Amino acid sequence: MGLRFSGAWLPALIAIVGFLALPFGRPGRPFLTIDPNLYGWAIGHPLLWLVLASALAALVISLLKLPTSPRGDLLVVAGAVGLGAGVLWLLLTATPFGMGALVAATGMALVLGHALSESGRVQGDAFIATSILIVSLFVLLFIIYPLFMVLRSAFVIEGAFDLSQFRRTIGHPLFFFLENPRSAIDEVGLTLRWGVVVGLLSAGWALFRRQRLPVVLARLVLGGVLGLILGAMFYGRGALPTSLLTVAIVAPACTLLGLAFALLGQRSRFRPVRRSLDVISVLPIITPPFILAFAMIFLLGRRGIITHGVFDISSNWIYGIPGVALAQILAFTPIAYLLLRGSISSLNPALEEAAQTLGAGPWTTLKTITWPLVRPGLAAAFLLSMIESLADFGNPMILGGDRNFLATEVYLSLTGRYNAHEAASYGVVLLALVLLAFFVQRWWLGGGSFVTVTGKPSGGALAPIPRAIEVLLSAVLVVWTLFVASLYVSIVVGSFAQLWGVNYSLTTRHYRDFMTAGWPVFLYTARVAAISAVPAMLLGFLVAYLVSRHRFWGRRFVEFGSLLSFATPGTVMGVAYIFAFNTGPWLLTASATIIILALVFRNMPVAIRAAVAGLAQIDPSLEEASTMLRARSFTTLRRVLFPLLVNTLVTGLIFAFVSAMTAVSQVIFLVSPGNQLATVLLLGWVEQGQLGRAAAMGTILIVSMLLTILVVLALAQRISARVVRVES
Amino acid sequence: MARILLALVAALALVAGAAQAQRVNLLCSPDLAWCEALGPAFTEATGIPLDFIRVSSQDALARIRAEAANPVFDVWFGGTGDPHLIAMREGIAEMYIPTVWDELIPELKSVINEEYIPLYAGAIGFVVNEEALGGAPLPRTWRDLTDPAYRGLIAMPDPTSSGTAYTTLATLIQIFGEDEAFELLEDIHLNIAQYTSSGAAPGQLAGRGEVAIAVQFMHDGVKFAAQGFPLTTYAPEEGVGYEIGGITLIANAPNRDAAIEFIEWALTPEAQAIAGQQGESYQIQSNMNTEQHPLAPDFDEINLIEYDFDRWGDPEVRDRILTRWLNEIFPIPR
Repeated sequence: MGLRFSGAWLPALIAIVGFLALPFGRPGRPFLTIDPNLYGWAIGHPLLWLVLASALAALVISLLKLPTSPRGDLLVVAGAVGLGAGVLWLLLTATPFGMGALVAATGMALVLGHALSESGRVQGDAFIATSILIVSLFVLLFIIYPLFMVLRSAFVIEGAFDLSQFRRTIGHPLFFFLENPRSAIDEVGLTLRWGVVVGLLSAGWALFRRQRLPVVLARLVLGGVLGLILGAMFYGRGALPTSLLTVAIVAPACTLLGLAFALLGQRSRFRPVRRSLDVISVLPIITPPFILAFAMIFLLGRRGIITHGVFDISSNWIYGIPGVALAQILAFTPIAYLLLRGSISSLNPALEEAAQTLGAGPWTTLKTITWPLVRPGLAAAFLLSMIESLADFGNPMILGGDRNFLATEVYLSLTGRYNAHEAASYGVVLLALVLLAFFVQRWWLGGGSFVTVTGKPSGGALAPIPRAIEVLLSAVLVVWTLFVASLYVSIVVGSFAQLWGVNYSLTTRHYRDFMTAGWPVFLYTARVAAISAVPAMLLGFLVAYLVSRHRFWGRRFVEFGSLLSFATPGTVMGVAYIFAFNTGPWLLTASATIIILALVFRNMPVAIRAAVAGLAQIDPSLEEASTMLRARSFTTLRRVLFPLLVNTLVTGLIFAFVSAMTAVSQVIFLVSPGNQLATVLLLGWVEQGQLGRAAAMGTILIVSMLLTILVVLALAQRISARVVRVES
Repeated sequence: MARILLALVAALALVAGAAQAQRVNLLCSPDLAWCEALGPAFTEATGIPLDFIRVSSQDALARIRAEAANPVFDVWFGGTGDPHLIAMREGIAEMYIPTVWDELIPELKSVINEEYIPLYAGAIGFVVNEEALGGAPLPRTWRDLTDPAYRGLIAMPDPTSSGTAYTTLATLIQIFGEDEAFELLEDIHLNIAQYTSSGAAPGQLAGRGEVAIAVQFMHDGVKFAAQGFPLTTYAPEEGVGYEIGGITLIANAPNRDAAIEFIEWALTPEAQAIAGQQGESYQIQSNMNTEQHPLAPDFDEINLIEYDFDRWGDPEVRDRILTRWLNEIFPIPR
């Protein structure tokens, strides 16, 4: 058996045409400049001739009558050589890539994809092989490579490996210092005491549980280390302990509150409770940065309406860890709620029923059945709030006072102290913390399957939560809702007040100012966000499909890459893109393209998660049936999976769009003249004291995002209903 | 598949490759309102379009450095002088002598050794919310700030991230000598409610009544008062330091001709008057023929110190002072 031609002939031809008709490099930033000296054939470098030669070879080979598999092998060689030579030339000469290079590289990558499939080295057809290749290349170029450049910038100075800058940052009082000679207390001694106390406590607990001696010793050491860390967080100053202490407050609080809301949402006897939770859960995504923090100052600050006006307290407590922690809890609890809602709703009620039939009370059921089952969800929610808290940029900027936070130090060291090495060093520390959190989570969850949904319908009604707990949780929810509502109302009030916080006579001045100074930027941001959402969703869907339905070499790499892009704090990624795409072959800065790319790879993980969840609900036998009927995998994807997932994908699309609209930390370094974004402009206004205008933009953003979500979700439901009807 | 990918690539490229005619890309460091007013006025005068980004002067220097191999920006407009000086000395900016050079105030040119083009001058001062003082008297001198009556009522920018704060430190050292200045800073530190990361933020805190006294540039205080905040602005009696904002041509600017045309225009009296009229910016403008805005703090009534820009603009001196502040003042509990 064998195909007469290889499908690789078309991309090979495209590569040849691209190489001949378009310049391989470009002299400067603009993409579409045609510099006759920079055509591949005009440069005449041997590596470039090799590109052309291998493209021609690929064309010839693919038209030869050969057995499919060896022909595939030959094409693999041709494709790899062509792609490698082109990239090598760009790297060696550090010439910015031109359109010719782009087209030729795409062509050669497609050749390689076809070839890998035909040679049988990748299981799957040309589409699968090409997708794997392209996705891996994207991950490499837009996630791994920029982060590598951050590492490089932290540890390599003027071409040589040099730890001095990193050590300087780590040893700097802005990063961490413990013993303060100017203070009355002995910080080091107190921290040591914490270590001893916690170590002894944890060892004592192990003894009490009659553990064996090595376990007790291990507990002693682990507890001691934990105590030291806690003590250092508490008594130390600088960005590291400040960020860690904030995380230590925010992550448990968010997880607990998220769990409370999830329990209420799934099991409350009252419908309005569930309804209000649905609204609360989208708020953080549609709220632009900085604005909520300001609303908090006007409600809770020294002259705050609640603190000063009602309780007559004059205190600056809100600046520093308490304010930031409160703002973060408000912002990230809904995220924890969304995660926990999933795991609470997937509990199989039959298990709880069984427990209760066997005579267990609600408490015992909660402890022995529900808790172990929600543990993975809790771990995920904890981890996510931790990452969000570490990466948060907007709240510490406004409410940080004179405490330093890691994520803002990345920004301030680059913009305030103009030290790129220092910014990179902070980035490395942040990244290390986030990855550590991931591994600890893996380790804690360990093995064990927590799958309770078997695909068969689970009968039985959900057990209501104990009455006392429900009342308590509902009270928490009511307070929460009132507080959040008053924050949002105060933003709207602020946008119509002459001078937010001082003079509350009504005016539409800020909206008029917004129309002249902010509206064009707002429209541009919407365009960029919309453009970025489509590839983010498609790429996310593709990655999810490849990772969950195919086994291939490099699967772990793709998974790890998308995990990195999701876990890396925004400011770190922003700095990374500056390092990676400002000079050399991948010159992209000062263009809309770089902003779009940053947003695509930032939001891709959201789409991946949505698509993975969607795919998990679809039985693979549907696809197998389609394959059996000789449909190619692209056809299966388009005709079988896509219609079934329309709802999920549209949801992913809309959330990618909305989070691109409100993103700030990853794009703050990437804006350029003519490529200004709404959130960055917002920061400018906030810093300049144009709070009314900022509140006006905030109000417009919140309202328009809310409308977008509502309209699109309603449409999606209708579309998916129709698609399913047509298909059946 | 191939078609889809190619279409995607082409679409991305099209989005990126806007037409490239002569236009001015501006890094703009003063108040946003001023930056926003520049573009329309310049385009009306010369027909050349202008795009700008507002960034702090430190940020601007960082960007010019990072992009030195491939400059995006043509002109750097405004912002405190030290980074302009550094950019000149590093060769990432180019000294261009404008035709109006002789009309620029001679003192401004001479104190910076004519190393960059002066655009405006602004002095440090106190910005006070009397209501928030709660009965305490107005501080009149730097020494007054150490009065325990002002505990928790003072805000100043953070020296590690703000050029304004560094100018304040350098001012105190030049008035009192380094050791005495640090003793003074230690006592003031005990009264500080908050060090802000941005230079103009203390005045906003004072405006909202969250602190009573802000130490920052006087022209910003005047601006906040004009916006309606209950603030008075004045200079302490021992004297104050000042900044000389610059306008700088970036080396290898992609639109050099348009950039030069912009610099020439920006130094004319008509263009400089925009600052006060539309830009909410009340610095002293550098062209002596410019009609200064009535709200601009009058330098004849302020006790200006003889600020040594050459010495205190030196990055090594700056680094040493900031390190000393960080080691001796910052850790003191309050």
